[in-house]
Amino acid sequence: MLIEFKNVSVERERRLVLADLSLTLSEHRIGVVGPNGSGKSSLVRLINGLLLPKTGRVGVDGLDTARDIAAVRRKVGFVFQNPDNQIVFPVVHEDIEFGLKRRESDSKRRALRAQAALERLGVGHLTERSVHTLSGGECQLVALAAVLATEPEILVFDEPTTQLDLRLRNRFERHLAGLPQPALVVSHDLALMQQMNRVLVIDQGRLAFDGVPIEALEWYQTHCG
Amino acid sequence: MIGSLYLPGHTGLHRTPAGLKLAVLALSSSALMWVHSPLLLLAACALVCLSARWAGASLRQVWQQLRPLIWMLLVLGALSAWSQGMLQALEMVLRLFTLVLAALVVSMTTPITKMMQVVVWLLWPFQRLGWVNAERVALGVGLTLRLIPELAVQWQEIREAQLARGLVPSPLTMGVPMLLRTLRRAEEIAEAIDARG
Repeated sequence: MLIEFKNVSVERERRLVLADLSLTLSEHRIGVVGPNGSGKSSLVRLINGLLLPKTGRVGVDGLDTARDIAAVRRKVGFVFQNPDNQIVFPVVHEDIEFGLKRRESDSKRRALRAQAALERLGVGHLTERSVHTLSGGECQLVALAAVLATEPEILVFDEPTTQLDLRLRNRFERHLAGLPQPALVVSHDLALMQQMNRVLVIDQGRLAFDGVPIEALEWYQTHCG
Repeated sequence: MIGSLYLPGHTGLHRTPAGLKLAVLALSSSALMWVHSPLLLLAACALVCLSARWAGASLRQVWQQLRPLIWMLLVLGALSAWSQGMLQALEMVLRLFTLVLAALVVSMTTPITKMMQVVVWLLWPFQRLGWVNAERVALGVGLTLRLIPELAVQWQEIREAQLARGLVPSPLTMGVPMLLRTLRRAEEIAEAIDARG
């Protein structure tokens, strides 16, 4: 994985949320921390083209997120903070199969891939369930299965543990550790950030600190705590 | 109202092809317009009630879905009784109730993706002529069906939040947050669909 930000600036509602960011990311696990409204979510949304830079360029393995958006989205799986926002269809297998429509034309193979993604996370029994009857943790796992079913090469998680209780949070951490893909994780969960290879601290739209977890988190707690 | 119309299950109605169910619904709804006998309408209503039971729906689930309609039926029935007489009112109420319940039975036993496939199939000739993108229209129909029950849940949440603050919900105090939340939800769904490529 190689993600490159070159002089990237982002504006949302006429407010500069990221300013002149230049960065190269290639580690297996990268954490992003920062105060609320600092630009963390904007940073990761740039990676699969949900947000396009006002100036500069974002590249993912040589693809330009503005020019090669379809290829970038096939490569980068995005797990949203709130699984309710991510799950579009009312039945678990329907939702997962929907995400596979452009990747797999055969409906039987789509169903098999959806089931395999659920089984992999230990929630194969949920396939026929209505998403409205799932608990918060089950919803999170279904949202993750929907992304994993598309077999992305890179994963992006936007505050994945915010809505989870301790047990589910620990379960998520185990699942994350077991995933072979490189991942970028935005989180306020400092214990989860300790597991990363590299942590970026974003503050007021700028890269305030970039380093190994122990140093980055110490900087974050001293300057933003 | 619950957040989804579809009830997962394996009944005969669940296994019946979506196209056939929608065709029967369309034909029987049209046919009901020509029926004026309250007895025949009552029989049709009983038949649809039985099919709801066959679909695996409990009385409570059906009631949850139809509760918002009851008030409308009562008002329409009263207006019709006042202007056209009791028999006409009974006929109108029975017809409307039967139609809505039949549509509900189809929704409860048909996954949205199956309905979308029917829409794609129906629009296929128009797509060949280059008039429409059948997949996009089907997605629009699917998302609309998906969001109808969610809007009812949203309405209930906003109402409870206002009651908890000691406010009396009014069309204005309900309408503005409903509109804002609906727009935000639409944006979130569009973003989720975009993110999946």
